Amino acid sequence: MILELKNIEKSFGEKKVLTGVSFKAEGGKAFGLLGRNGAGKTTSIRILMDVFPANSGEVLIDGKPINYSKIGIGYLPEERGLYPKKVIVDQLCYFAELKGMRHKDAIASVDYWLERLGMAEYRNKRLDTLSKGNQQKIQLVTALAHDPDIVILDEPFSGLDPVNAMLLKNVVKEQIAKGKIVLFSSHQMSYIEEFCDSIAILNKGVVALQGDLRDIKRDYPRDRLVVRTVALERIRSDFGAACTVMENGDLLIQLSSPGEKKAVMTRLVENYDIDEVKVYEPSLNDIFVEYAGDSAREGEK
Amino acid sequence: MKQFGKILSFELKSYLKNKAFVGVTIFLVVIIAVVMFLPRIISMIETDDGTADPGDLPTLLVKAEDPSQAEMVRELFGAAFTDYYVQVTDEGIDSIKDKITSGSAEGAFVMTGPTSYTYYVNNLSMYDVNEAVANEVLQKIYQMNAMIGGGMTPEQAGEVMNIQITSQVEMLGKNQMQNFFYTYIMIFALYMVILLYGQMVAMNVATEKSSRAMEVLITSAKPISMMFGKVLASCIAGLTQLIAIFGSALVLFNLNKVYWGGNEIIDSIFNIPPELFGYMLVFFLLGFLIYAFLYGAIASTVSKLEDINTSVQPVTYLFIFGFMVVMFSMSSGEVDNVLMQICSYIPFTSPMAMFTRIAMSTVPWYEIAISVGILLGSTVGIGFLAAKIYRLGVLMYGNAPKLGAIVKAVWKA
Repeated sequence: MILELKNIEKSFGEKKVLTGVSFKAEGGKAFGLLGRNGAGKTTSIRILMDVFPANSGEVLIDGKPINYSKIGIGYLPEERGLYPKKVIVDQLCYFAELKGMRHKDAIASVDYWLERLGMAEYRNKRLDTLSKGNQQKIQLVTALAHDPDIVILDEPFSGLDPVNAMLLKNVVKEQIAKGKIVLFSSHQMSYIEEFCDSIAILNKGVVALQGDLRDIKRDYPRDRLVVRTVALERIRSDFGAACTVMENGDLLIQLSSPGEKKAVMTRLVENYDIDEVKVYEPSLNDIFVEYAGDSAREGEK
Repeated sequence: MKQFGKILSFELKSYLKNKAFVGVTIFLVVIIAVVMFLPRIISMIETDDGTADPGDLPTLLVKAEDPSQAEMVRELFGAAFTDYYVQVTDEGIDSIKDKITSGSAEGAFVMTGPTSYTYYVNNLSMYDVNEAVANEVLQKIYQMNAMIGGGMTPEQAGEVMNIQITSQVEMLGKNQMQNFFYTYIMIFALYMVILLYGQMVAMNVATEKSSRAMEVLITSAKPISMMFGKVLASCIAGLTQLIAIFGSALVLFNLNKVYWGGNEIIDSIFNIPPELFGYMLVFFLLGFLIYAFLYGAIASTVSKLEDINTSVQPVTYLFIFGFMVVMFSMSSGEVDNVLMQICSYIPFTSPMAMFTRIAMSTVPWYEIAISVGILLGSTVGIGFLAAKIYRLGVLMYGNAPKLGAIVKAVWKA
């Protein structure tokens, strides 16, 4: 199954929020939707979920307009919250039934997920008696209980302790393995890097960068070398301005062209005491800052 | 439709499970039961004690220089003041005053001539009619004496004084005096229920928004199902409460009917014409819905619970205005005045205004049809509009938007 947003335009009053937003997410893979605050992530998600219509553009499943009565969507919003005064199992079943489940199936599914997330003991308690982290796990059930085809998780890891984060990671992996489309939106780049095969970076309502994360990294010009060495000062004085020290103490050498790579590597290994030398690949964090930062690169790569 | 049913039953269950809702309903039913059984309880206590002792009645003192006048006044006052024990006294003014201030006598009439007296009383109550009664009696005595002096026998004079006029009233319209009470009760019930439940709907929407449950809800259900589900649930809850209260009043009244002794007002309250109940139901439902939609829509634009009261104020004022117009028109006895006629066609005031006119006056059927038609159309229209405002409103956080901004947003959506 392939989910595709095509040329989505959206304005609120005079303010244009999304301009020609397009991206594709595949079943059985996780997709990362990145962007700074106010870049248009939540608006894209809401259009995708039919909370409000786009001014123009399409939401497609396998090339055809999405049929919301057939495609189930589970959503964990960034702004968490359910009914604080209501019994947990009652409200979880209510949400599952709103998504089209029968009452009996809803109870069975909710009980399964409460058990799976280690929350079974709170089944008949009121939500406001739980800690914040546990409330978040309860909220996760609303996104998963109706066995949706598309799972949208907005900052799923914020507020979770390492043990719960691990539990959630396993759940997410399980959902991906089941062939679902998992759409992540997060500012925690390490999680995106861990899960997502492809990403889209939104900047001011425009897709600044999208594609397979490995391809994106590989597509960067391979004209920089990372060198771990004890002969720091010697190399620096020999290479001059082309050589800078990175935060972790490694050296970064800028080549005049990618073709120079082999020659420089040989020169380094033969002349200095080198522990490791490799071609520099940017981290997702670097890519994000480059495309979504204040001095962001324009246009689509 | 399925979603609408789910929302309706979920919301309705939360009303029926709400301890305050159940508690208030039971409390009101108990109060009504006590009131309805009151005459029976009183009559039981009274028969136990035998007839009321005249010694228990408060004392009225009568003092006159002329003993024959004193005796005649006592006799006639005794007949006129049935709630008092009338006693002749020849004590001085000061000791009479002492008796009144100490509470051993309720009041005193000190005659200063055949047609003049001083009435001594401790606290003159707002409802004290003793003076008027005394005036009437003394006037009668004077007139009788004059007739006897003119040559009539006391019997003839008595006959003239007590001549009875026979009359009959043939009502072509409605008896406003009789209808006043049940119309009043019904309008008041309408007022209370709409105001209370309207605010409950507002609170419900605002709570969902402020607790952010809305974020999941709005992605799970259509705003139109949410709005109609919520409002209809509160309507059913309100109706259930009304039926519980009025139904138990009706049943309990019939159980104790004998003890109420055919009190005309009470009888009229429990003998509401059935077609009026029909109108009541129509106007109640439509009036309730139109206001509940408004309350819900406004609450959806509010981010903080504490802002709710200020935001719904305009709607509340509009409603209170309608209520006031109806109440003043009812007590002035002119329920068909121009303002009432205008209000009968404005959807926000017609539930109360038109209903009052139907109950207390004679309204042609086509006027009723036009009024109900306008109300029905507006209710449906406002329902859809409310759902639209709701969809936009629930996702707006921060300061509550101005009315103009909402109208603009709805227009564009």
